[in-house]
Amino acid sequence: MSLWPYVVLTLAAVVFVLARHLGDPWPKVLLPVGTAAAFVAGWHLTCEWLAYDLKQLDGTMRHIELFPTPYQTLVGMERPIVDGTLLRYAVASVYRVAVGFTIAALLAIPIGLLAGWHLRAFQAINPLIQALRPISPIAWIPLAVLWFGVKDSSAVFLIALASFFPIVTGTIAGVRSIPLVYVRSAQNFGLEGFELFRRVVLPAAMPQILISLRIALGIAWMVIVAAEMIAVDSGLGYLIMDARNASNYDRVVGAMIAIGLIGVGLDYGMRQLETFDEVRWGFPKESEAVRNWNIRVAIGGSVRLDK
Amino acid sequence: MSSKASVQPSPPHAASSAAATATKIVVRAVNKTFARKNDELVVLQDVNLDVAEGEFVCLLGPSGCGKSTLLNIIGGFDAPTTGTVEIDGEPVRGPNPRRVFVFQEYGIFPWASVWDNVALGLRDRPKDEQHRIVDHYIELVGLKGFERAYPAEISGGMKQRVAVARALAVSPDVIFMDEPLGALDSLTRLSMRAEILRIWQQERMTILFVTHDVDEALQLADRIVVMSPRPGRIAEIVPVEMSHPRDVGTAEYGDAKNRLYELLGVSHQF
Ligand SMILES: Nc1ncnc2c1ncn2[C@@H]1O[C@H](COP(=O)(O)OP(=O)(O)O)[C@@H](O)[C@H]1O
Ligand SMILES: [Mg+2]
Repeated sequence: MSLWPYVVLTLAAVVFVLARHLGDPWPKVLLPVGTAAAFVAGWHLTCEWLAYDLKQLDGTMRHIELFPTPYQTLVGMERPIVDGTLLRYAVASVYRVAVGFTIAALLAIPIGLLAGWHLRAFQAINPLIQALRPISPIAWIPLAVLWFGVKDSSAVFLIALASFFPIVTGTIAGVRSIPLVYVRSAQNFGLEGFELFRRVVLPAAMPQILISLRIALGIAWMVIVAAEMIAVDSGLGYLIMDARNASNYDRVVGAMIAIGLIGVGLDYGMRQLETFDEVRWGFPKESEAVRNWNIRVAIGGSVRLDK
Repeated sequence: MSSKASVQPSPPHAASSAAATATKIVVRAVNKTFARKNDELVVLQDVNLDVAEGEFVCLLGPSGCGKSTLLNIIGGFDAPTTGTVEIDGEPVRGPNPRRVFVFQEYGIFPWASVWDNVALGLRDRPKDEQHRIVDHYIELVGLKGFERAYPAEISGGMKQRVAVARALAVSPDVIFMDEPLGALDSLTRLSMRAEILRIWQQERMTILFVTHDVDEALQLADRIVVMSPRPGRIAEIVPVEMSHPRDVGTAEYGDAKNRLYELLGVSHQF
């Protein structure tokens, strides 16, 4: 039994109490750190609780661990980190996602703009899109391997497939929900054809396109792991499969954590696009969320619901 | 029907006279019905209207009486079911940059800065000319210093100023305004009203202004087209003879107001 998880949990509790009394920006920094620390401590404790001693047939006792502790996970990752495999595999995964995602975006955005704008195009292709969309990209893996072999292109194809549908659906919805008054303004000032698309349709739909890109990237990052388990022999998904085959569960969990952290990084990168002047209007402001919270606190609504 | 002389090739119905103004807009026997599930909704019935060049005409009526529908038809955003609309003797076939709308919901683009919004109709002009015109109208509507701001960063009144500047920048012959001040608070509404009047007196374009506010119509219009609902029809066209600036305290103003309320069939004594 270790003591440190209890110390960390106590510290986290102190941080939570403290954050309520400190002004901005402290809560924004302290709260997530406290939550993460508490999560790691809880993880360790759970591992200890789940482990048990098994009496074997020959009468000796064997310690069974069902899940690697945080420390074991770190140790398990030492070799792939030091010898560069982790970095190489991470780059391979990100590269496949980047290529597949870019191909999907280049196809899906124009198709979405057209189908969102043009009623007949929408009627023609939307049912097909909606019928293909629910087919999990995982279901395409056998075909992908058949067509492209156990190669990068296989994974890229699966990523493009996984990203295409959220982007095209989001773009269509974005264009279809453009307020009539913008389109009328544009027509009134003589905008037509390509210029109408460049100056009005695309920018008006852009916030929703960005949201769909963000969702698509998240899905792509999930799918790459599955694709790499079967369709290629490198990447973070492959790392998991490889570690499992070697019964190295420390490394399985370590790879999972790496996938999570890189996913956060990718999502953060996508969100930076939302800060551009041309699209900021389409996203809720953080300052507004803070202000609304302060108002709710002021009337006692969200702090003490029991009152 | 008021016959006005024409300095241009005159439309067939406009008899020549000595007056210097031309008939700008001619609406003849316009009907508009919208198909519904089982029947159809008659929104406009036999609407006839002549608007002279440089005239400020208000369309006044309760909400739902077809004011927007009529304005959209005249502006070319919608077609009448039957009847004709001509501007400058030409049938209206669609929206046109010479005739600009100012919408209640502003219609300015949130993805573009104030400056870029005002420059929308000038995109084919040389850069220096764009700058001269845009800067002039931004100053005219009192938005100097906000050129780089985005619509989300300015108030409703300022947004509507951007829409007005965007419209003025193309030097239109006609401006259509569909309850342009409806979303503003009553004080901002008053000052914007005064500004629209000042700009109109300066530039003398034809203005067709939709409102359901009796005072607004009385303070702005040369003539008030009173509409009655279901189906939308012109109940009466009331000329306003008072000169600007109009004193809302006079008996003449009060009488005109009473008359309009009467035409609208609303009690207004409290
Ligand atoms: N595109 C449309 N389809 C069906 N009905 C419509 C349409 N546009 C307007 N209407 C109906 O026509 C009537 C008049 O509308 P509108 O011209 O907007 O009135 P106002 O501007 O005077 O308030 C309303 O009953 C409205 O519901
Ligand atoms: Mg209306």
